[in-house]
Amino acid sequence: MLSKKDLEKLAELARLEIKPHEEEKLLKDLTSILGHFEELKEIDTANVAPLLGGTSNINAFRNDEETENVPKEKALEQFPKKSKGFLKVPPVFE
Amino acid sequence: MHIQNLTLKSLHEGLLNKEFSAIEVAKKFLDEIKSSDGNIGAFLLTLENEALEQASQIDLDIQSGRPIPILAGAPLAIKDNILIEGKPATAASKVLENYLASYDATVIKKLKEAGAIFLGKTNLDEFAMGSSTEYSAFKKTKNPHDLTRVPGGSSGGSAAAVAGGMVLAALGSDTSGSICLPAAFCGVAGLRPTYGAVSRFGLIAMGSSLDQIGPIARTVEDAEILFDAIRGEDKFDATSVKKDFSPENDLSRLKNLKIGLPREYFIDGLSNEVKNGLEEAIAKLKTLGFKFKDISLPHTKYALSVYYIIMPAEVSANLARFEGVRYPGIPEIGENAKSLRDLYFKTRGAGFGAEPRRRILLGTFVLSAGYYDAYYAKAQKVRRLIKDDFENAFDPAQGNVDVILAPVTPTPAFKFGERASDPLAMYLSDIFTTQTNLAGIPALSVPVKKYKVGSGELPVGFQLIGKPFHEADILGIGKQYEKI
Repeated sequence: MLSKKDLEKLAELARLEIKPHEEEKLLKDLTSILGHFEELKEIDTANVAPLLGGTSNINAFRNDEETENVPKEKALEQFPKKSKGFLKVPPVFE
Repeated sequence: MHIQNLTLKSLHEGLLNKEFSAIEVAKKFLDEIKSSDGNIGAFLLTLENEALEQASQIDLDIQSGRPIPILAGAPLAIKDNILIEGKPATAASKVLENYLASYDATVIKKLKEAGAIFLGKTNLDEFAMGSSTEYSAFKKTKNPHDLTRVPGGSSGGSAAAVAGGMVLAALGSDTSGSICLPAAFCGVAGLRPTYGAVSRFGLIAMGSSLDQIGPIARTVEDAEILFDAIRGEDKFDATSVKKDFSPENDLSRLKNLKIGLPREYFIDGLSNEVKNGLEEAIAKLKTLGFKFKDISLPHTKYALSVYYIIMPAEVSANLARFEGVRYPGIPEIGENAKSLRDLYFKTRGAGFGAEPRRRILLGTFVLSAGYYDAYYAKAQKVRRLIKDDFENAFDPAQGNVDVILAPVTPTPAFKFGERASDPLAMYLSDIFTTQTNLAGIPALSVPVKKYKVGSGELPVGFQLIGKPFHEADILGIGKQYEKI
């Protein structure tokens, strides 16, 4: 069902490096998992509304106020590279 | 004081009556970790100094007559996907190996306020993805009842730490049975609360429409104490809701709850151990006066397919943040990255193990153009039908039951390597647990009897499934059951 090309495209979309020796096993696993999903075709869902999440809450509101749950310096500590209080990243354009 | 006979309740009473001190208790449990965890491998990290410091403070409070909260001095273990400020939270993944949590999860904040002591962080399947804890990037956790078998997953370290007598109780997280399954495999009690009952703020997210945090403990009564300490609305988790909770201890009231037995769960594929265990549990509950009724949850068998579409879709989004920019990632890759794109691909390529990779790719596939409707949208509709099954069972005009009793897994704990290389075989471990996550309703795993480590007997659990926010029903029945 899935081709090597499909797999490469998915990896590209997911920004995930895949080594050539992984491809065969990944394709086999994904194909067998997707095969299992075929059983859902048995069910008529024409008049069923999708369940979009785990909660039955309609909405959750809060006041539009500035809050700080993690101090900026604390969050910055975990950035591997930073400069003047900002994230630092390698060049975006190659 | 024998720490193996303690419970959260008897610890509290013992401290108040000055039968022992918090520091004695903490030291004994830390000694137990030192002598047992070499074999079991439940912990990724122990927090000895902090634990002893906290314990001395509690002893000071007791000496000076200050009131102590319910969990004061309680030695707990925390699954390593829940954040404790300043401590590692690896989610058992290489991509987070160098991360230190910037803040306390809401559940941790609440437990600290209740006086609990954290002895360590426990192993899990990488990012909580698995049913055996074999998918941890760091180590193998063994089932204390049989070291050749898995503890279950993904909260396997937490369940093994409790079953191995190394802590009194632990926190796990559950996206599809990750509390109930290891609790059943390890012979301890585990509660997956209703979606929205406990804040997930500070839990490393896997499937956000499914994830819940819950307790694993020696007894149902202890699981209830821990649940009561962590539950409640939280402004940092918009799905959390405000609900009252009052424990139910009255057998005459509990007996009015009708228990449904769903025929789709009592299938030919159940092993003899599980079949006999379930029969034993039902017979014992009947002697207490509980009434049973056969019911049907017709879409049960489709739940696994629905789950393995919806969860990876959410995984592919939730794990996008681990790209080596906002979290430490893998230092040598960060140092040598030629471009942002290079950093993303290599950090994620080297940082994620086989199971997260499979799920990210699967999630990307089911959400991609051309496949969305056939997979993701279809799964959301069938998810509705699965939830409707439970609503119909609980509806007085239809199934008319209040609680549902079912097996947790088709077999007791399996051996290492039996399912790890075939993802579909591993996924089938969740065949009885994923439905309640999809429906967002609570489930409690109760050991059929008291299993003693070293007896050679493999534990079997049964699950009690309740109406949304009716944790008191299933905990109440579980407490009555464990008294027999």
